[in-house]
Amino acid sequence: MKKRTSLMFLAFILMLSLALVGCSKNTANESSSEGEGSGSEEAAVDTLVFGRGGDSVSLDPATATDGESFKVTKNIFETLIEFGEQDTELAPGLATEWSNSEDGLTYTLKLREGIKFHDGTDFNAEAVKFNFDRWASGDKEQYYYYNSQFGDRIKEVKVVDDYTVEFVLNSPLAPFYKNLAMSPFAIASPAAIEEFGDKFMENPVGTGPFVFKEWKRNDKITIVKNEEYWQEGLPKLSQVIFRAIPDNSARLNALSSGEVDLIDGVNFSDVGTIEANADLQSFYRPSLNIAYLGLTSTRGPLKEKLVRQALNYAVDKEALIDAFYAGAAEPAKNPMPPVVAGYNDDVVDYEYDPEKAKELLKEAGFENGFEMELWAMPVARPYMPDGQKVAEALQANFEAIGVKAKIVTYEWGTYLDKARLGEADTFLLGWTGDNGDADNFLYVLLDQDSIGSNNYSFYQNQEVHDLLIAAQSTADQAEREKLYKEAQVLIKEDAPWIPLVHSQPALAGKANITGFLPHPTGSDVLSTVEFK
Amino acid sequence: MELSTHKNDQPIIGTDEKVVSPWLEAWISFKKNKLAVIGAFIVIFFILVAIFAPLIAPYTFKEQMLSNRLLPPSSDHWFGTDDFGRDIFSRVVYGARISLWVGFLAVLGSIVVGCLLGILAGYYGKWVDTIISRTFDIMLAFPSILLAIAIVAVLGPSLRNALIAIAIINIPNFGRLIRSRVLTVKQEEYIMAAKAVGMKNSRILFHHVLPNSMAPIIVQGTLAIATAIIEAAALGFLGLGAEAPNPEWGKMLADARTFLIQAPWTMIFPGLAIMLTVLGFNLMGDGLRDALDPRMKN
Repeated sequence: MKKRTSLMFLAFILMLSLALVGCSKNTANESSSEGEGSGSEEAAVDTLVFGRGGDSVSLDPATATDGESFKVTKNIFETLIEFGEQDTELAPGLATEWSNSEDGLTYTLKLREGIKFHDGTDFNAEAVKFNFDRWASGDKEQYYYYNSQFGDRIKEVKVVDDYTVEFVLNSPLAPFYKNLAMSPFAIASPAAIEEFGDKFMENPVGTGPFVFKEWKRNDKITIVKNEEYWQEGLPKLSQVIFRAIPDNSARLNALSSGEVDLIDGVNFSDVGTIEANADLQSFYRPSLNIAYLGLTSTRGPLKEKLVRQALNYAVDKEALIDAFYAGAAEPAKNPMPPVVAGYNDDVVDYEYDPEKAKELLKEAGFENGFEMELWAMPVARPYMPDGQKVAEALQANFEAIGVKAKIVTYEWGTYLDKARLGEADTFLLGWTGDNGDADNFLYVLLDQDSIGSNNYSFYQNQEVHDLLIAAQSTADQAEREKLYKEAQVLIKEDAPWIPLVHSQPALAGKANITGFLPHPTGSDVLSTVEFK
Repeated sequence: MELSTHKNDQPIIGTDEKVVSPWLEAWISFKKNKLAVIGAFIVIFFILVAIFAPLIAPYTFKEQMLSNRLLPPSSDHWFGTDDFGRDIFSRVVYGARISLWVGFLAVLGSIVVGCLLGILAGYYGKWVDTIISRTFDIMLAFPSILLAIAIVAVLGPSLRNALIAIAIINIPNFGRLIRSRVLTVKQEEYIMAAKAVGMKNSRILFHHVLPNSMAPIIVQGTLAIATAIIEAAALGFLGLGAEAPNPEWGKMLADARTFLIQAPWTMIFPGLAIMLTVLGFNLMGDGLRDALDPRMKN
């Protein structure tokens, strides 16, 4: 019997090598045959199939909270103010002009005229008011983003005339315009909301470039061209199909076999293969994220600022980027990416210097190092392609200065819950910005008010808190930027994290796709995409 | 069937009184078996590699050089480097320590516990036998790797716990083996005689019964080491064994999965190492069985 095991093992190895040989042949065949194929079938290529990691949860942007949902609604609905093509600057959307009063309490928006919803009803100031009233009157759970971004700050939405709307606030809200540009605050057709009621999330009606056609749960969502779209000549595609393919490698396979035309969530390690394939091209999403190692400042030796600084000096970020991001990332020194207004480029990062780190440890009284846990996330995130591997590299960095880290991991939900309660010594985590405002990084992730929600490192500094609160209630953008820059200096000194990288998530598509502009927020408008 | 007691039954060389010990005889028969000798050489080779790992390995197993990641085999890195830029040759060499250590220790553990329970069950019989044998049956009813996964899941993933789990799942094999030996030996006349002269149970068990059961245990033990190494690698592969950065072979295979096409050497060498050690122990175990089992003699 034992003899059989060893024989089986041999047979297995042989089979494996055969399979490998088979693989390499297949790919060669496929690419050549496809090259021939694309020449003959030129007609009818105006349907784009978009492969992504998961299905939408809701097609009503107001109730959705997940990125996968917004990827679709972004093409069906539009917001009053839009983000720039590939940045988070403000650009005209359904509103053409906007202005606010000196005290930052009254905001007036001029709306674009002559736009119709997909159901034929008119877009006007009444429709805007209807949407805001709907979000404000609903329960907090249901309209999560409205409550987290506006809370009860909006006192009243006034219809001045058909195409002018005025917002009256209780207190100044600095990121007001940025908030309006977020996908959840897209304007939906009041008639359709009334008609479908609870079923609106399955029957979305907006003003966007595409009209909803059908949704097969956990399989695909089909949207078709909006013939009446207000932007001349757009959209260029006649149909877009969103397909859910959870596994990253399977999705890439679907792309190479021609099942889908465009995919997101590409492993960085696969980018080289994609670029070597003449039938495919890769895209990078501009970074609006931060990956970091949180140093929980309420635990053991990490209570000491010197220890946290020492750990900062120990990490070789460039090496991490080359090894695990295929170079598609930049080292982070602040808790927010450089595209965000208020980023302090004068902050000097703790450079990679193990000797300096050892000195600081000695100064702090940990000459012989110490032991700690290093938590690694079990899932791939856009900012962290492989938590386990990054953790292993950090483990070696720390070992070089005498700190023994034990890598610990939990199932993703448990991981977040436990880290939120401050049970981790050090933990890998990250954040992708919602609206590109500094408040959405610094206040959300590092203010003492956020302990128990997104401030996992339990960082507390009264001075930083005062600055962040002041910045929240100032309407003057220049003044705000000054406050945020100051806060970043203090945060750098206190070192509650080791900011690791700002990554550019990779996407891939067929080589003949043009006009695709990946947006930093993760929701792309596909109206300019076409096949050459 | 038993070897060490009936010396006079053994063939006598020449006409003088010279008696060949059964162990020596087994050795002679083992030497004739070419495959078994090859197996033994493989095993000895890996044991030496494990002992002298620090002298053989050109690098340490955890030394990372992220700029040298996924290099193909070369004169600097005989087996290439993995995705952390660690030298795979050094890691495979150090990995021999872990795999052999786990193999030997786990099997030793199951032999000790298994023998004890097997002797109790076989010698005393009745309800002791019923309880122990049924427990063995229950354990054998589980697919062994599944049981190991369950045990590690309860104890928490680590190399030590993987070792304990492997030891536990192998206990019934040894327990049943010993029990059947004890049942046979118990009927022998010299045991009757020992009882008749009033020898204590413990003395009978450890001086007569156990030595007479050594041969099958050695055979089973050698083969079990092979299985234990595979099981340790399987647990490592599933992330339930050795923790990073320990160079456990199964874990190295798991880490290499992503680079199967890009850098096949990250998978081939640890895979070969597992295959060779397991093959070595299996060949040696088969040879030992042939040599130690009197029924196999021509």
